[in-house]
Amino acid sequence: MAAPRRWKKILYEDQSVDDNYVDSSFLDELKKNLCTRKYDYWTVVRASGVVTQQISSVCIFVIVFIYMDNKILSAENLCISVLTMTVLGYIINKLPVRKSLSFSEKSSSRTILDDLKTLLIFTGFSYGLSPVLVSLTETISTDTIYAMTTIMLLANLLFHDYGATEAAIVSQSLSLNAALFASVCLASRLHTPWHAFATVTFAVQIFAVWPVFKRNLMQSIPASQPVLTVLLGMFAFLALLTVSIPAAILFGLVHLFINFVCPAWLTSLQPYKNNIYGPWDEATIND
Amino acid sequence: MKHSICMVSDFFFPNQGGVESHIYQLSQCLLQRGHKVIVVTHCYGNRKGIRYLTNGLKVYYLPFPAVYNQCVLPTIFATFPLIRNVLIREKITIVHGHSAFSTLAHESMFHARTMGLKAVFTDHSLFGFADASSILTNKLLKFSLADCNHVICVSHTSKENTVLRASIKPETVSVIPNAVDATMFVPDPSRRNPDKITVLVVSRLVYRKGMDLLAGIIPELCAKFPEVQFIIGGDGPKRIVLEEVREKYQLHDRVSLIGSLEHGKVREILVQGDILLNTSLTEAFCIAIVEAACSGLQVVSTRVGGVPEVLPPDLIYLAEPSVKCLLEALERAIEDKRQGKVVSPFKAHERIKKLYTWPDVACRTETVYNRVHQLECRDLAARLRRYYQCGPLAGKLFVIAAVINFFILCILQWISPAEEVEEAPSFPASKNVQKNFCEEKDSHNLI
Repeated sequence: MAAPRRWKKILYEDQSVDDNYVDSSFLDELKKNLCTRKYDYWTVVRASGVVTQQISSVCIFVIVFIYMDNKILSAENLCISVLTMTVLGYIINKLPVRKSLSFSEKSSSRTILDDLKTLLIFTGFSYGLSPVLVSLTETISTDTIYAMTTIMLLANLLFHDYGATEAAIVSQSLSLNAALFASVCLASRLHTPWHAFATVTFAVQIFAVWPVFKRNLMQSIPASQPVLTVLLGMFAFLALLTVSIPAAILFGLVHLFINFVCPAWLTSLQPYKNNIYGPWDEATIND
Repeated sequence: MKHSICMVSDFFFPNQGGVESHIYQLSQCLLQRGHKVIVVTHCYGNRKGIRYLTNGLKVYYLPFPAVYNQCVLPTIFATFPLIRNVLIREKITIVHGHSAFSTLAHESMFHARTMGLKAVFTDHSLFGFADASSILTNKLLKFSLADCNHVICVSHTSKENTVLRASIKPETVSVIPNAVDATMFVPDPSRRNPDKITVLVVSRLVYRKGMDLLAGIIPELCAKFPEVQFIIGGDGPKRIVLEEVREKYQLHDRVSLIGSLEHGKVREILVQGDILLNTSLTEAFCIAIVEAACSGLQVVSTRVGGVPEVLPPDLIYLAEPSVKCLLEALERAIEDKRQGKVVSPFKAHERIKKLYTWPDVACRTETVYNRVHQLECRDLAARLRRYYQCGPLAGKLFVIAAVINFFILCILQWISPAEEVEEAPSFPASKNVQKNFCEEKDSHNLI
């Protein structure tokens, strides 16, 4: 056999070529973009709704404060509506709609009695502490309070869990605490303990309980998400219109940008993705 | 053609490890071939200044303290005056840096290039491309290798990896495998326990060496084969995982953890084993399996990095990196052993002895030096152009660094001109310079 032997990627044989020989099979084992997901525009649009929902929630919270500040909305009315919505939400949450996965497991471990106990403890404490809460930041100037609230609500948006729980920036506790801090700050501008109680309860409802409810709803009825996004967005937009027209327009533009422009941007950047894989990668243990 | 070579790395004796012994062995062989070789590293505790090792291998322990991971603080320029002085004193023509982790190696190569000397770099490790830290180190490697004359990698996989990471031409990268000192790994089957099948693991007990896989393998293999026992040499953070497994399955009499080993003692342990198990998750060359095969053991290893290139198929059992596959490979190895279908230890030793020898590595490295020597010097403009092509932002930063270094060179040249730097007397060449290495290799080729 005089035919030249094919070069092999081995070190244990002298293949009589130079050490810097480059074979045509060089980098054959290189693979590109193995694990990248192909994004479909409308899927991304639907998924981006989670972000705008949270922005809407924050806007609704601020508008409720403005209404109370302007004496359009009384603390008693807010408390009653919070209570009704909580009861409604709780019943829907308990409905055995296609009991799926973790949702059912989680709810099965807690009885209604447990939930009632938690509710009582929470309302009792926040009602009892509301005189303290209202005077806590009373001496601080209104500008500082507003600046602080803005920063805290932005922090809430930044650290909120939009579904990527394992991402480094996501911190559920930080985001919830920032929102509650903002609510305590705002509560002091309303001057009565009743108002403080109503604001804090509303904040807990919209920032702590609502996302949980939303997640459960998404797991059992995925189609509810776009509807929810549009409803929340429209509600916040209309409410904003009654307070400030420029803010409402800005809100609408931000919504359009996040929901339609950003997904288009993301999908258009996909062809530039260039992940390299090969035999040099550290193996992952799968079992 | 005789060269004056300066080996630079942060990793050298008294540190122990693959890179350290590589530099030492290569330097010794090059000395014996009549080249002038010095080693430059940073100081280790009290060990500062100049020391001579075997055969007059001169080692400069420069007074830069190690900061992180045994490396000096990366300052780019601060090491220049001292390194320039050493290079001029010793009349160095080629600077040879080792290990991508070594800051000192990269800086010295950069300075050498500024001074118009040739630079060669040996890469001993593999890197991924996915996480932030590897993106950063790959960028730095790009800077370091943009103007390097030649690169040496230890396996073909490592070559592909380096070419991709540093965006260099594959023709400027040579593959020269590591070697073993076969005289240190002579098999001795009489030391084995004839009633047992001993599975050996010799590695640092860290995640990258696949210790979690090992923790899964131990109980299953012990349950299946009552005659199997494990000896695990080495130490590290994952030791606790193995101890837990031993505790949980009551395997104290069958799994012994003997702690870290000195390199000289490795053979003592190796000859007691029947099978060496390597569970690494990434490996550029894996000298451990060569040492084991050289000592006549059967080798079971994960198929990662450069491992499949290293040993011929009849000496190694390869498996995908999972507990199930490794167990299957181990079972095959044990079955073959029971049926006597294994290559005899001495035959394996004879084969490995010819495969990976240090004189051969030195010979091939010399070819690289000769090639580099014939390259013409790039002028500053050409060098800057190479740096500039490294990237839109990084390229500009690299150019700035190169220009600053050039200015520092001018200032240093003015403060202490090269002609005035005292020349170091060279160590009298040892009389027993062995001339027969290359002849040996040639005759080997003829066969």
